[in-house]
Amino acid sequence: MINLDPAMLNRVIKPARYTGNEWNSIKKDHDKVAVTVALSLPDVYEVGMSNLGLKILYQILNNRVDTAAERVYAPWVDMEAEMRERNIPLYTLESLKPVKEFDIVGFSLQYEMSYSNVLNMLDLAGIPLFTAERDEHMPIIIGGGPCTFNAEPVADFFDCLVLGEGEEVMEDIIAAVSSWKKAGKINGRSGILRSLAQIGGVYVPSLYDVTYHEDGTVAKVLPNCPEAPLVVTKRVVKDLNTVEYATRPIVPFLDIVHDRIMLELFRGCTRGCRFCQAGVLYRPVRERRPELLLKMAKEMVDSTGYNEISLTSLSSADYSCLPDLVDSLMGELKEQGVSVSLPSLRIDSFSIDLAQKVQQVRKSGLTFAPEAGSQRMRDVINKGVTQKNLEDAVSAAFQAGWSTVKLYFMMGLPTETDEDVLGIADLAYKVLDLYKEIKGRKGAKVTVSVSCFVPKPHTPFQWFGQDLASEFERKQQLLKARLRDRNITFNWHDARTSFLEGAFARGDRRLGQVLLKAWQNGARFDGWSEYFKYDVWMDAFNTCEIDPYFYATRHRDFDEVMPWDHLSSGASKSFLQREYEQAVTEELTCDCRREHCSACGVCPGLGVEVLDWGSRA
Amino acid sequence: MAKLRLEITKGEEIRYISHLDYASAMERAIIRAKLPVAYSEGFNPHMKLSFASALAVGVTSQAEYIDIECKEEIDINQAVERLKAVLPMGIRIKGAAYMQGNVSALMAIVNLATYEITVPLLAEDIGIIEDSIRWFNNAESVLYTRESPKGKKEMEIKQYMAKPIAITVLEKAVRLILEIRITPTGSIKPGEVLGALVAMFDLPIDIDNLLIHRTGLYISNAGRQVSPVEL
Repeated sequence: MINLDPAMLNRVIKPARYTGNEWNSIKKDHDKVAVTVALSLPDVYEVGMSNLGLKILYQILNNRVDTAAERVYAPWVDMEAEMRERNIPLYTLESLKPVKEFDIVGFSLQYEMSYSNVLNMLDLAGIPLFTAERDEHMPIIIGGGPCTFNAEPVADFFDCLVLGEGEEVMEDIIAAVSSWKKAGKINGRSGILRSLAQIGGVYVPSLYDVTYHEDGTVAKVLPNCPEAPLVVTKRVVKDLNTVEYATRPIVPFLDIVHDRIMLELFRGCTRGCRFCQAGVLYRPVRERRPELLLKMAKEMVDSTGYNEISLTSLSSADYSCLPDLVDSLMGELKEQGVSVSLPSLRIDSFSIDLAQKVQQVRKSGLTFAPEAGSQRMRDVINKGVTQKNLEDAVSAAFQAGWSTVKLYFMMGLPTETDEDVLGIADLAYKVLDLYKEIKGRKGAKVTVSVSCFVPKPHTPFQWFGQDLASEFERKQQLLKARLRDRNITFNWHDARTSFLEGAFARGDRRLGQVLLKAWQNGARFDGWSEYFKYDVWMDAFNTCEIDPYFYATRHRDFDEVMPWDHLSSGASKSFLQREYEQAVTEELTCDCRREHCSACGVCPGLGVEVLDWGSRA
Repeated sequence: MAKLRLEITKGEEIRYISHLDYASAMERAIIRAKLPVAYSEGFNPHMKLSFASALAVGVTSQAEYIDIECKEEIDINQAVERLKAVLPMGIRIKGAAYMQGNVSALMAIVNLATYEITVPLLAEDIGIIEDSIRWFNNAESVLYTRESPKGKKEMEIKQYMAKPIAITVLEKAVRLILEIRITPTGSIKPGEVLGALVAMFDLPIDIDNLLIHRTGLYISNAGRQVSPVEL
């Protein structure tokens, strides 16, 4: 057990990040379990504690009598300095034991900009960074989360990466590690890695060799041992009604990012927005039954004492039984002072009615994501929202008493022209005008947030070259000049951060050395603007003689081998290509959940099907 | 309406949580216990809870007080048992009573806080320590500059000291007993008293490794000292 010096904790900000003992946290005797797991998200406590996937895994793993699952997050820079000065290794919050003593360390990889924190945490833990440097006495380092679908840039640091949903595969992994340990860690490190590689959805990068063409593109990614499959396909839970959920989540003392009950209505979204990676990775749509959700919600209020429930999903307003569910939740939980919130709204008046219902009197402002300013551009990305939908939704919101609207957009989408960019401004002004029309006076406040589009693997736009940072900046200025009304607030993302994210999102294994170099030179918490060191990253690329533009801004041909072609989400490459071609010709693809199948390949390929209770009623 | 007053602890397990964190931990425990707590009216109803005195990050306590306004008066033992079952580690219930009649707010009546502070010594010579404490106890006034994000403020410490500081020298550490007045116009934090002892009275302690423990909160009137649950 690590001894935590009061002098250290008295000095750092928010010391409760590092001391545990939260309600519903679980402490087990390590001598009485077969496998110990440290679950991590490589960011600060408040971010890591908000991740739903880890909450679910914590419960599933701790339900097993043979397993102890604990938590560890990235110490903030002040705590890191204190720990390094005192030689305190990275430790878990439950047992205060060094992470190095665990059998498994699992990192949830939610965004590329957290990679430097993974290296930093391994280093703080005293664990060798490279998989090749670790022997059988070191923990097995596992990655999960959306980034694993192209975690090639971190492939050298991880022992294995898990593709897809973790509920079932984690149990398979525990079983494999447990029997390997019981057999005296038979065949050492290589023994367990080869056994893990045979579990569906588990990718062991060291069992694959990558060769490159002279032009720098990938030639082949091939397994170097018989246990490793040619293609690793994601894991998917067939029916969410039958798997365990995080009904007893840890209740933190500090205020975390999502400090409320997260009720996951369904997984997957088949609206088919062509920029969206989650829309591909989590296919197909699988809903939980409304009766089960109500039961879960009550259980969670009782087990946590939270007074707010957020209905989370990729697009919660698409839940087939939403109005009834909201009514029953509010009816049953009102007495206990519990409120219900909808984190994402669809752009239609149905959503406004619902928002009005759940928000009751508090009119805090509504958020919509048209994603693009012009109709043409929205057709390119298959957003499926018309100018009229937007006007109706915003009018309904104003009529219902709202006056503050937030609009989310992206710039740098394929085929984008300046006219499309300026369409964002037109839309913002249209919203102000609508308010005046409806209310007969000025008074609306519009916030326009524009991010820089980062093409992601496994999406129809995976072949598209990202805009140069200078082009993003030019477009930002163009828009800024047009948005001069004092009732409009304009926020935009740092183009250089998006550029780096773009390079790593579609990077290959060679980026591992850039990551190492940048971390060595001080990169960490890159997702936090105050700590993002662009120059350190560019120096690292230079030193390694690797060109970031090759990864971020280069257009790929359809026949190029992608660094992630051996990692499958179930959606076929031909489907993605078809979608890209339709994007260019501005043709729409319908939602397969309620209309006809668009043949992405997931359902037949993975033996799963869409579960939509509304359509079966 | 019934006002349930509890005497609770903030233990070592949760030493580093803030007063706000502590308050919301109690709020959530009350929901888990399904106590018939009252909420304020309005658009954003909140639970009717009040505390006696905020406790800083890094400070433990064996005597915190909270008033819970309830819609009905349920059996006190039952209320305590239900709450006990759902309290996080570090919070224990030491006493409970329904307050009868029109009760003044805890914050308004509590006027004395006692602390036990343990801190490692940097010098072996007990004489130096005793001298330092004696000088402090005998001083007419001690000025201390409180620095906060809001700026600097000059404070006179001695007006808040209800009694001279008492000490026990332990092995390589010293334990100090402080009794501090809480007045309508303010008070001084125990850490600030220690800060003054180091800065102005050369107390040879490792102040970074200070462990502060609140031993009591009292209503002190004309020499009579009672705790808020003894009222």
